[in-house]
Amino acid sequence: MLDLRVPSGTFFGIVGLILIAVSFTNPHAPMTDGNVDLYTGLAMLVFGGFLLLLAMRSRRA
Amino acid sequence: MTLSPVDYVILTLYFAFVIGIGWKLRKSATSASDFLTAGHHVPVWITSLAFLAANLGAQEVVGMAASGAKYGIMTAHFYWIGAVPAMLFIGVFMMPFYYGSKARSVPEYLKMRFDEKTRGLNAITFAIMTLFSSGISMYALAKMFNLVLGWNFNNSILLSGAIVLAYTYLGGLTSAIYNEVLQFFLIVLGFSPLAILSVMRAGGWSGIQQRLPEVMTHTWKYVGHANENPMGVEVFGLVAGLGFVLSFGYWCTDFLVVQRAMAADSMSAARRTPLLAAFPKMLMPFIVILPGIAALALTKMGSGYALPPKGASYDYDQALTTLMAQFYPSGLLGVGLTALMASFMSGMAGNVTAFNTVFTYDIYQGYIKPNAPDSHYLKVGRLTTIVGILLSIATAYLAAQFNDIMDFLQLVFGFVNAPLFATFLLGMFWKRATGHGAFAGLLSGTTAAALVHGLTEAEGKGAWIANLHVFPSQMAQNFWIAIFAWSTCFVVTILVSLATAPHAEDRLRGLVYGLTELPSEEGVPWFKRPLPLAMVVIVALVFLNLIFL
Repeated sequence: MLDLRVPSGTFFGIVGLILIAVSFTNPHAPMTDGNVDLYTGLAMLVFGGFLLLLAMRSRRA
Repeated sequence: MTLSPVDYVILTLYFAFVIGIGWKLRKSATSASDFLTAGHHVPVWITSLAFLAANLGAQEVVGMAASGAKYGIMTAHFYWIGAVPAMLFIGVFMMPFYYGSKARSVPEYLKMRFDEKTRGLNAITFAIMTLFSSGISMYALAKMFNLVLGWNFNNSILLSGAIVLAYTYLGGLTSAIYNEVLQFFLIVLGFSPLAILSVMRAGGWSGIQQRLPEVMTHTWKYVGHANENPMGVEVFGLVAGLGFVLSFGYWCTDFLVVQRAMAADSMSAARRTPLLAAFPKMLMPFIVILPGIAALALTKMGSGYALPPKGASYDYDQALTTLMAQFYPSGLLGVGLTALMASFMSGMAGNVTAFNTVFTYDIYQGYIKPNAPDSHYLKVGRLTTIVGILLSIATAYLAAQFNDIMDFLQLVFGFVNAPLFATFLLGMFWKRATGHGAFAGLLSGTTAAALVHGLTEAEGKGAWIANLHVFPSQMAQNFWIAIFAWSTCFVVTILVSLATAPHAEDRLRGLVYGLTELPSEEGVPWFKRPLPLAMVVIVALVFLNLIFL
């Protein structure tokens, strides 16, 4: 049976990396000052990594 | 709103993962029961999140932001009293009968507990309603993408239909459920930045409280009388109509959500499914309603953002998308739109898989071709997936052509659904309830609903028989229609049951309270037991209501 944490973690990891990559050149949205792409990209990368870590741990056990 | 290439990359990546998950799961759908009921082997954290996501359609996400802007934090009642108590009730009290009966669908439970006609009535109305709601949400999505992004209406419909078809055809219910969880994560991660950014910009919750009238930032303070709040509802109608009849009628009897819990790998997991789902459900208002409230506050403070006007008021339905355009840079905008797409797909796949199971088992196997080998029903199930999606697409076009017919049908569906919970409550907890009683109760409940609508008026709607009463809002009218329908069904079921011959007790074993052995909980840690879990939810729920009293 497929461990759903693997595809979910991979998906959010990739999306996080894409957001971080574009965050340095992207113009900000009209109503925000901070680098929103960077923060959300980091959050998604951490979330994706967390899911993958859980999946790896349960596979080892 | 214009998208840049990176937004399309994210959208495409999402489509690839969704179909990839379906492809990976294709081997787990080799029998009819695997395809249609996920073979009872889905882990509990997955069934819990799917239980939430199947209900979390795009219309809900867009609609809740709209209601937030229109009614304020009172909208949270749709979650806090309109969902969570019912989710606790089904987990603690009803799941032992659903799961323990080994029924494959809710209509099948009705057949085991009552009789063929009660099941037929429920199966047929449910099948029609799921197709229509799938089609109506498809129409809403295509219309929105057309308005916001200028996408072609036909292409949106065909693309979303084709993707949902691909992954549900490949992996059946398991694939739909697994994808619903990915969709749930995406909805949370894609929309919570919007809530955070828009509320911060409006000066935090205290800033919003300063700028908006008090009634927008309190849930209970202004429900004493209907003319005190913009919803036009008073506390009894709200609690009894929404919090009891409509909420329990949906969360405890609608096969779309019950099916997710029934896919769990054990009775204990099935009971915990709605209980664990109640935790994130309780917090959803902060993601989907807060942005709407912030949108109104931002409009009032002249911040540079304003809700689009519509007549003398605002076009609330555009609150979510206009906020996204102002707060999301490209990249995150792609994530947000993908989340909208995801919420739509989870709703549609939920409808299609529920339709599939009910059609194949309750209508096809029940009335058209019983006693065929399993492989035959697998074939029918797969074929039904295709037909179901084609019919949804047809419905979407019907909705685009005849808006009035859709409004009318949704009204009728409301009449049919309103009495349902009385039937299940009596069926599960009163062994004397009979099939004739249940059937008569359902019909008279639906009739009562139609009569109340015909005799009362709200916002110019209803009163097609006579006008005996005017409700302050359509919402109040809906709540009271539900209350009358439920009470009528409850009383008629009892009276007719008492007048007809009781079912033999042997036949009711495993189906009714008192004749069902409840699973032993000895040695099970508290966080895996339904009752303590429900208690924790109640404490958190009371706390939330007190904060936003």
